[in-house]
Amino acid sequence: MSTRAALLIGLSALVVLALLPVDLTTVGLPYPGLRRYGTYILTLWLVTAIAAMGVNLIVGYAGQETLAQAAFVGIGAYLTAITTKSGVPFGVAFAASALVTFAIGVVLGFPALRVQKHYLAFVTLAFSVLCWLVFRNEQDWTGGVMGIRDIERPSLLGLSLNNHIRFYWFVLGITSVLTFVLSWVLRSPWGRAFTALRENPLRAESLGIDVRLYTLLAFALGCAYGGMAGSLYAPLVEFIDPSPFALGPSLIFMLMVVIGGSGTFLGPFVGAGAAVLLPEWLRAWDVYYLLIYAVLVMVMMAVFPGGIVGLAMRSLPRRARP
Amino acid sequence: MTALLEVRDVHKSFGGVHAVRGVSFDVHAGEILGVIGPNGSGKSTLFNCILGQLAPTSGRVRVDGRDVTGLRPSQLNRLGVSRTFQLLQVFPQLTVRDNLILAGQEHRGSRLGRLFGASDAGVGPDAERMLDFFRLRRLADERAGSLSYGQQKLLDAAMAFMAGSRLVLLDEPAGGVNPTMLVDLRERLEALNRERLATFVVIEHNMEFVMALCSRLIVLAEGRIIAEGKPDEVRRDPGVIEAYLGH
Amino acid sequence: MTDLLQLLIAGLATGAIYALAAIGFTLLWQTSQTINFAQGEFVMMPAFLALIAMRWLGLPFWAALLFSMLASMLLLGVAFRYIVVGPLIRQGVLPLVISTIALSILLKESVKDFYSAEAQPFPTLLPDTPITVAGITVSLAQLGVLATALLTIALLQWFLAGTLTGRQMQATAQNPTVARLLGVPVERMILYTFLINAALAAMASLLISPIYLAKFSNGETLGLIAFVAAIVGGFNQVRGAIVGGLLIGVLDNLAAAYVSTAYRQAIPLILLVLVILFRPQGLLGRREERAV
Repeated sequence: MSTRAALLIGLSALVVLALLPVDLTTVGLPYPGLRRYGTYILTLWLVTAIAAMGVNLIVGYAGQETLAQAAFVGIGAYLTAITTKSGVPFGVAFAASALVTFAIGVVLGFPALRVQKHYLAFVTLAFSVLCWLVFRNEQDWTGGVMGIRDIERPSLLGLSLNNHIRFYWFVLGITSVLTFVLSWVLRSPWGRAFTALRENPLRAESLGIDVRLYTLLAFALGCAYGGMAGSLYAPLVEFIDPSPFALGPSLIFMLMVVIGGSGTFLGPFVGAGAAVLLPEWLRAWDVYYLLIYAVLVMVMMAVFPGGIVGLAMRSLPRRARP
Repeated sequence: MTALLEVRDVHKSFGGVHAVRGVSFDVHAGEILGVIGPNGSGKSTLFNCILGQLAPTSGRVRVDGRDVTGLRPSQLNRLGVSRTFQLLQVFPQLTVRDNLILAGQEHRGSRLGRLFGASDAGVGPDAERMLDFFRLRRLADERAGSLSYGQQKLLDAAMAFMAGSRLVLLDEPAGGVNPTMLVDLRERLEALNRERLATFVVIEHNMEFVMALCSRLIVLAEGRIIAEGKPDEVRRDPGVIEAYLGH
Repeated sequence: MTDLLQLLIAGLATGAIYALAAIGFTLLWQTSQTINFAQGEFVMMPAFLALIAMRWLGLPFWAALLFSMLASMLLLGVAFRYIVVGPLIRQGVLPLVISTIALSILLKESVKDFYSAEAQPFPTLLPDTPITVAGITVSLAQLGVLATALLTIALLQWFLAGTLTGRQMQATAQNPTVARLLGVPVERMILYTFLINAALAAMASLLISPIYLAKFSNGETLGLIAFVAAIVGGFNQVRGAIVGGLLIGVLDNLAAAYVSTAYRQAIPLILLVLVILFRPQGLLGRREERAV
């Protein structure tokens, strides 16, 4: 798909998304918009998608495994909550979350990638548990199991974003920028290098591609996306405690990316959508939704490991594929 | 004049298996050196030790007088040495053109620069030239995985040259290629050798191919060099005949 | 001093149980390149199978143990091999990893939803009566656990080194291609590995549940310990898994006594970080050939 076509489609999607929660009856269109809860779910979907994009970069493009994305989201969330409550402007907190999680990603990834391929999975697993322990125990910083409450929504250029639609547009804007950045990286020679090192690291290395460095960069960038998602999550939910940042949610991030379609551009959005919406739809049986999710994943892996987007692409005629 | 590639007393053992036992040889600029020998004589292991996929147990490797023993493959590649693999190693999901661009992109500018520069890292024109040279033009936008085996082999060889390498090690380039394409391949290699003064070291089992292409041969058996010299001399060497018949 | 020795023995007892879980995990990885992220849940489930046998089927304790062992070998061994791993082996490593992650969630949620979210007490094989040996007081139950686990490990080592089948399994673990050429029935060996892993996990489950209570969430901790023990020991050696498991058991018990309980779970994690930083091949491993 040409860059121009992709940009056009992206912009149209952006317009549609921006209008989704808005009550259009005031301009004569028969669409009542979404209420507060609906808008909240949409915003949650976008925030989840940002973190999922990070996982997609690590898993789908660089071919690694990460079991710590929820922990990075947590780091971003707590960092933002603590600093904004002390008066630091949101923009600074957001940037700090990105940089800190990127740095931690480098520190974590560097030794693990020197060794065997699957070591990063175990290191991230251990890191995930460690983070959760810190979140739960360090009451003075994180409020322990009681968490941090009354996190305020930021204001942009003096305009308060407390209103749920305005905050949604804010998050939508940031998501668009982050999506654009990722797309830029993937279309650049870096993206080609990622594909190469995922498919055949031995050959890639012999062509001059520094496999370790590229993998490390992909991992750290993916973690930074998690941190940024967390930074937006805190003001969205206005109250955080350790439970959404434990090992379980990290595993679900991996699953959602693969279900959506790992290594595809839309995969994280589809996967995040399923993860956020599924509990809503299965409300009657929501106790069992994780169970159903797990079974679906196992079946999917055996039958079409390309995920939902992978399946959709296979039914498209060859030329139209992005 | 120092040789382009100097291999000195390289040994490689894996546990109890002594695969390469003290191999030494020189390769001079502009040569096409053939490495032949029965299966299991250590040819591929020797290549891997020279090129960084493995670290030799002992011995030295020098390129242009500079010690490169144990350097990683990506570092050697940036010094102007590249290779092909015995088992075909193109990137099936990328197009033919993308495969070629990939092979050349790490040699232009800096890594960071590549993030903000052109999508083909400035290597596009070279890739186009390579497509024409190896007559792969009409396949340029096809996924590499959909090419025939022989075509993939050509692509593999083309990729080894994208980096502008002065020294290329080819591991069984003729393996599995049908006879009509073989002539093509040999021709292309000879042309590259003439026009670009590219130096080759070629492992091959196909005697005809090797005899016609190479200016000099070394014969490996059980990890040691048992003969060295012009193709005709080597072919008549009794030790060589023994080594092949004995297997 | 006696306190230290008591802690040491308690540590070795739990460590031997961890070793069982780690050995199975290592064997699976060696023979069939399967990284079983559900290993922790494999050690959680058998206890619940035994509880189900007692509560829903009315079986007496010893029969329930047997039921659990057999059911585990069937579900976590045979079914796991042919229904989960089999179809996925040809899809590549990542789908298999994802599938075992999903399986871990499946097992965990199943127990939580269909049995109970509460921790369940689990009967011990031997009573907790204290015995004093050479001035040190240990419980009979602890000695029993230690003895059973060590006996199992010894049996396994004997089997692997001393019987034809065992040696064939080792050959498959070291190099399946060559093993096949030598006439070893590789497929069958792989099945045996899965069965052995299920049996070891079941044994570990039945030994540890009396101590830590049976809870659906046990899998997270136990799994992590199994992975760390395997890596610390050297990831591709059974002996390494044993050393790793014992080490973690001892350190864990010492930490519980001398370090804040809040960070007790961090001990295996810190160990992992240290090993990866300073001795990535593990305590007993050999330096891997550089594979780029």
